[in-house]
This record gives sequence, structure tokens and C-alpha cells, in this order.
Amino acid sequence: MELTTPGVATLRRDLDQTARDAETADVALAASGDGRAFERLYRTHVTRIHSLARRMTGEEHADDLTQDVFVRAWTKLSTFRAEAAFGTWLHRLAVNVILARRTTLGTERGRYDDSEGVLDGVSSRPHAPDLSLDFEEAIGRLPDGAREVFVLHDIEGYRHEEIADLLGIVPGTSKSQLHHARMALRRHLE
Amino acid sequence: MSDTWTNRLSEYLDGDLPAGERTVLEAHLPTCAECSETLAQLRRVVARAQALDDRAPTADLWPAIARHVGVVSLDARRARRRLSFTMPQLAAAAVALALLSGGSAWLLERRPAEGPPSQSTTTATPMLTNAGTYEANPRYAAAVANLERVLAQGRGRLDTATVRVIEKNLGIIDRAIRDAQSALAADPANSYLNLHLAQEMRRKLELLRQAAALAGART
Repeated sequence: MELTTPGVATLRRDLDQTARDAETADVALAASGDGRAFERLYRTHVTRIHSLARRMTGEEHADDLTQDVFVRAWTKLSTFRAEAAFGTWLHRLAVNVILARRTTLGTERGRYDDSEGVLDGVSSRPHAPDLSLDFEEAIGRLPDGAREVFVLHDIEGYRHEEIADLLGIVPGTSKSQLHHARMALRRHLE
Repeated sequence: MSDTWTNRLSEYLDGDLPAGERTVLEAHLPTCAECSETLAQLRRVVARAQALDDRAPTADLWPAIARHVGVVSLDARRARRRLSFTMPQLAAAAVALALLSGGSAWLLERRPAEGPPSQSTTTATPMLTNAGTYEANPRYAAAVANLERVLAQGRGRLDTATVRVIEKNLGIIDRAIRDAQSALAADPANSYLNLHLAQEMRRKLELLRQAAALAGART
């Protein structure tokens, strides 16, 4: 019998399927109250959720929000339906938790200020050795509304209609905020 | 610097500009160095955003989360020496489990004849005394069904000896569960029986999880 070697795409697909199966098993176990399975889910997804929280609200709130997201996920696991990937479900839950919390962070003022002056806070900075970190810092200095739209659209891949729905604004405002954010951030590419 | 088109460049970049305006802007761009330069910068901003790496939190947040949800950390469990099993060990465990289960069944059958157990010998932790509700919990049933489905899908990846050991273990556990349920039907308030049933049900969930992971890992 002739043996054939599977291609890279086949191996990757198998590995992806294996990871999905393991995660499916862990979600089921966690839903039944298995803390160890839930910890494995936490360790798989914490980096992405923490980065989302940090970019949306700033470094000082990221740890608290990440904890809130996973505590909320634990209590809502029974509502998870396997039609979507667990990561997608968790990410959407995280966005909702973060956006719900922002109203208590006292950051509502100036959220959707469209004036040119509101972008002055995002001033150019001296070149840092780590350009990516400098760019992240510049994102953190954006006004809240522009930052939220930029993170959700350009980093997380949400559409304007989805963002408008999440933030309670119209799609036109989302587009306008995104443009302001990009215009401010281009200074950090130079 | 502001051209009439400057504020529309992001929409153009994202493909959100209506066709008519798009055509006009595309005619404008080659004639306007400022718009062309701004568009190139916006493209680079988007590319940079999409290339950002996620960073893990500097501190481990799990202990605080575990406290909130009332579970024990893996690290804490490892500190108490975590057990893992090879297939030969699992096979040996099957024999031991069969003996244990047989012994339990024998005890369960004898117990009614000896009269009700005294309170002092049937104390159990509150978490473990509600096996009846644990079993009736739809989340438990869903978890078992889900794991059985994962195992069935990956069954072809396991060798027959492994499948035999897993099935034998599951059969032993299922029999122990049935025995405990029968005995509980006659004595629902018996803490020992509730404890035994809860342990067997957890054992089944854990074995299914290990088997499903094994089936998933064999490629």
C-alpha cells in the first residue's frame, strides 16, 4: 500500500479541528461546573480579551474588566449555543461588558465630539524603540468615542452597522469617528 | 489642509463610498497630491492596526476569577500533585474500579437489611449531598451528551484496544451509577448514597473528557 504524506493545509485543518473539539469538550465541562475546564478556556482566550479591554478603556481598567468578562462568561455558559465558536461568543460578551462598564467610568463627556480640536490630545511623540507600543499608546490617547470605533472597526473587524448598534449611534457617526481616529493616528507612523 | 474630499477618504478606503462619488474621487486623486498622500497614510494606519499583537496581562488574573466563581486553580491542584494516567494504568484502574464497584453494590444491597445508617456516619459535604439534583441538572446531561458526541466523532482515530478500555470503564461507571440510583430510590435521604452517586457521575464526566481529548489528539 502506498503511503502519502498529508499536505500542510490538511495538517493545519486537522489541528484546527482538534483544537475546536478540545474546546467544545471544555465548554461542555465548564457548563456542568468543571472549574479546570473553565481555567483552560480562560488561558486560551485571556490575551485577546485583555487586549480588547486595554485598548477600549485603558491599561488601568483592563485587569478588572477582564475578570468581569470571565466571571460573566461563567454565569452565562449555559446560554452558549455551539452554532458559533466559543471565542466569538466570548468576544461579543466582552464587548458588551466593556461597553456597559464605560458608563460607570465617567468617560461619557466628549465621547462623540466631532470638532478638530478634540484630536489635539493625540500629539506626536518622539520615536520610541517599540513602534507598535507607541502606536498603542496613541490609540489610548484618542477621545473615547473615536477610540472605541477605531478598535472595534480596524482592529476587531466589526462593521459600522454593528458598531452603531453596540454603541447606540448611527452608522454615519461611526464612520465619522473612524475617520477622525485614523487622521489623528497617521502622525504616529512618521 | 482640507480638501472637500479629505473627510471622505476613509469611506473610500473601506469601500463605503457610493459609486458616483467613488468615480469622481478616483478622477480627483491623480490631480491632488495632498489627497493621495493622506490616502496612503490612512492605508498604513489600517495596516498597522491589523498587525497589532495582543499582549497578555502582566499578572495572572485567574486566582481572582477562580475565587469569584468558586473553583480551584489548576496551579493549586498541581501543587497537590496532579494525577495523570497512561493507557496501561487506565486498564489496571478498570479492574480496580470493577472490584470497587462490585463491593459498593454489595454494600448497597446489604445496607437496607442493616437498618438506616446513623447520622454520625453519613456526614458529607453539602456540595456532594445533592447528587439527585446534580444528575437531573440539564447542564450535566448536556455536557455528557456533548462529550459523547465528540468521542463518537473521534472514535475512528483511536485503536481498538483503547476503545475497549474506555468502553469497559464507562460500562463499570454506568453500572455503579445505576446501582446507586436504585438504592437511592429506596432511601432518597441517604447521604452516603448521594455522595457515591455524585462521585460516580463526576468520574464519568472526567473519563469522557479524557477520552474525548485523546480522540481529538490522535491525528
